[in-house]
Amino acid sequence: MSSDLVEITLLSLAVSGAATLISLLIGLPIGTWLALSRFRSRHLVLSVVNTGMALPPVVAGLFIALLLWRSGILGGLGLMYTPGAMVIAEVVIAVPVVTGLTVAGLGQLDPQLHLQLQGLGASRRQTVWWLWREARLPLLAAVMAAFGSVISEVGAAMMVGGNIAHETRVLTTSIVLETGRGEFGNAIVLGLVLLALAFIINGILTWAQQRGPRR
Amino acid sequence: MTPAPGTADRGTVADRATNGAGRPASTLLEVRDLVVTRANRRILAVDELTIRKGETLAIVGPNGAGKSTLLLALAGLLRPDRGSMVFEGAPVVPARDLAYRRRIGLVFPAPLLLSTSVFGNVAAGLRFRGVGAAETRDRVEHWLERLAIAHLRDRPASQLSSGEAQRTSLARALVLDPHLLLLDEPFVALDGTTRAQLLDDFERLRVEAPTTLVLVTHHLHEAARLGDRLAILLEGRIRQCDVTERVMTSPVDADVAAIVQTEARVRGHIVATEDGLVVVDTGAGSGRDVEERARRLLDATRASGRAAPDDDTGAAGGA
Amino acid sequence: MIATGMDRRAPRRATMAVGTVMLAALLAACSGTAASPAPASTPAATTPAASATPAATIAASGDLILATTTSTQDSGLLDVLVPAFEQASACKVKTVAVGSGAALKLGQDGNADVLMVHSPAAEKTFMDGGYGVNRQLLMHNMFEVVGPPADPAGIKGMTSAKDAFTKIADAKSTFVSRGDGSGTEAKELAIWKAAGITPDPAWYIKSGQGMGATLQIASEKKGYTLTDNATWLASKANLDLAPMVDSGDPSLLNIYHVIQVNPDKWPKVNAACAAAFSEYVLSPAGQKVIGGYGVDKYGQQLFVPDAGKVESTLTAP
Repeated sequence: MSSDLVEITLLSLAVSGAATLISLLIGLPIGTWLALSRFRSRHLVLSVVNTGMALPPVVAGLFIALLLWRSGILGGLGLMYTPGAMVIAEVVIAVPVVTGLTVAGLGQLDPQLHLQLQGLGASRRQTVWWLWREARLPLLAAVMAAFGSVISEVGAAMMVGGNIAHETRVLTTSIVLETGRGEFGNAIVLGLVLLALAFIINGILTWAQQRGPRR
Repeated sequence: MTPAPGTADRGTVADRATNGAGRPASTLLEVRDLVVTRANRRILAVDELTIRKGETLAIVGPNGAGKSTLLLALAGLLRPDRGSMVFEGAPVVPARDLAYRRRIGLVFPAPLLLSTSVFGNVAAGLRFRGVGAAETRDRVEHWLERLAIAHLRDRPASQLSSGEAQRTSLARALVLDPHLLLLDEPFVALDGTTRAQLLDDFERLRVEAPTTLVLVTHHLHEAARLGDRLAILLEGRIRQCDVTERVMTSPVDADVAAIVQTEARVRGHIVATEDGLVVVDTGAGSGRDVEERARRLLDATRASGRAAPDDDTGAAGGA
Repeated sequence: MIATGMDRRAPRRATMAVGTVMLAALLAACSGTAASPAPASTPAATTPAASATPAATIAASGDLILATTTSTQDSGLLDVLVPAFEQASACKVKTVAVGSGAALKLGQDGNADVLMVHSPAAEKTFMDGGYGVNRQLLMHNMFEVVGPPADPAGIKGMTSAKDAFTKIADAKSTFVSRGDGSGTEAKELAIWKAAGITPDPAWYIKSGQGMGATLQIASEKKGYTLTDNATWLASKANLDLAPMVDSGDPSLLNIYHVIQVNPDKWPKVNAACAAAFSEYVLSPAGQKVIGGYGVDKYGQQLFVPDAGKVESTLTAP
């Protein structure tokens, strides 16, 4: 069990970590653009994003499975039942979270701050960087929320990953398996490892979030 | 005195003086046919506005007149519905012109400081422009001195009083040595004592490091004190734009009059007082026989019962 | 001095670094799996992919999607059978344990390469539709009816499942069904049908889950259920249930077949590996693994290997 445990834990970390990172790369720019721009259908887009935050993960998993199955449009990629498929599904789950919280986080800033930065001669990139810095607290909260939503997710992971031993078996799907076999002791151990993992990661992020800006 | 490090010729005191007498000074910024509409309402319609190099133009108007909108347009941060701006001979593309934005300085009513130290804030604009560390340090420290906040150099922005914060904001703009400095009600959020102090310091600074200034305010006395020219903005239109004295003494219409005459001031010195009447010499005349003329003016005023100007000298009496 | 900017960036950078490491780890893990080519017939295989006869060579390689029942997984058989096959071949097995109904559907849609199922009627429909080739008898064990030790319906020791079910219905005792389209459910429904009973939802629960989970629900709710004896043996230590009807009834035979998905319908299936898998589990080596499973742990074999036998000759113990 213990060597398997290490493998399962590392896979959980790799899959959820990658998904969080990718969703940041997608969601942060989109959220920033949404926060700073004004266009006619902005409210509609924001509503869609906020609804996306409530998307049931298993629905996301089902949708991705339909695409990735051989019978599906992207079947030729052979991604079904791979960690890659799990990352894709988790990105779909996490992107609305990152986007929505980025919009909210930047929206809290004084609207004149954007103008002041521009008035100081900041280029667009410099402006965005400083706005992110000023919104550091809510943005790091967005990272934590995104990570939390995917590391603890089981429906999509099961559906597109298949819970295949040594390949796509992660902490959450292992817990389901062990519980289904009646091995509650193992299931509890896995659960504790998952909690510890989440605690450590969030601990680091919270430290980064809270440090410094007592200024 | 020694010019601030990193400054170039932004207009001398002499420039400002000649502006007052109407001799053509070099034009810094020329605005034509500027129109801004929001929600189907025209909130700004400026046919023509010229800002001369080295002058201080004060823009006064009640709340909602469009002063801040005008300032944002001048800062190149607003995309107007139509209009052209020509800066130092070259046209400005609104909302897209980083080069233009890097030649101006902008101060808002709120300090809007970044969450870093005072030094970090004042250095921000320089860092955006890629100015080297050594030069940045010199320029920042010079202006921290000038605004009497050198002792707060490493203080985090969140721990400053409102006066200190606004000084930081001003230093942040001044350190950039802008061709054009735009100030949107910079003293409005301060309490009376702080404001008075800052105004004094600011006036002194203006003399030391003259730069072209556009000051938006709804306090007439600030405009009168600091401004060479005064523009009155009402409901998005400039009703009058002229040398400060002229606007204050000869308002073009009733609305302008309502604005300027609430705190009408005359500059000059008092030559005679009697029975509650005051005769002020505004110095526009030849200075001959001031006392005798003052006596005649007092008699005339008492006789007619109201204030009367002396046509020869421009001296005016008031009760 | 100008230090403040640096400090602030460090934690951000740390987070990014950690994330990049994780991404790299993932990519490394991914490339490990991706090293095996996408499921397709390899040129090395001499198997004519379209042929119905399993003349596959062990040179077949790539990913093989095995769709099977939860009973083969929950009993632990696959934990030994699959690695044994992987050692004997270059194929990499991805086991998807979903229940016979879902497994057959995966095969029908070409989303699996080989099936290991135990739902004869549904399999017949599958074969009639031309979706599978080379359906072979693989192994069997028995179904049992298990229930609460207190036995409220009084069926302990009966030898007819049909009669036992009738008594349960009369007593209105709780009965937990798989309710998930599996082979076990198919067998259970067949027994109800034979008894001429339509179970009443008042006491008839559908778990919608695999055998292991269903047994647990039965245990918690003190209900009866139909289970294959492999999963039962593997999990009974954690359950509060006892065997009720476990011998003498031929209708409780639980027969497994292995079926390859028809590559003519779905050219993308890894036909070579599917054939190799089928050949392995039917071979003496594979049959030995099957027959030996459970003897050490539970004192008896959980599955009886049946390769080469005629189905009608199978009898209940």
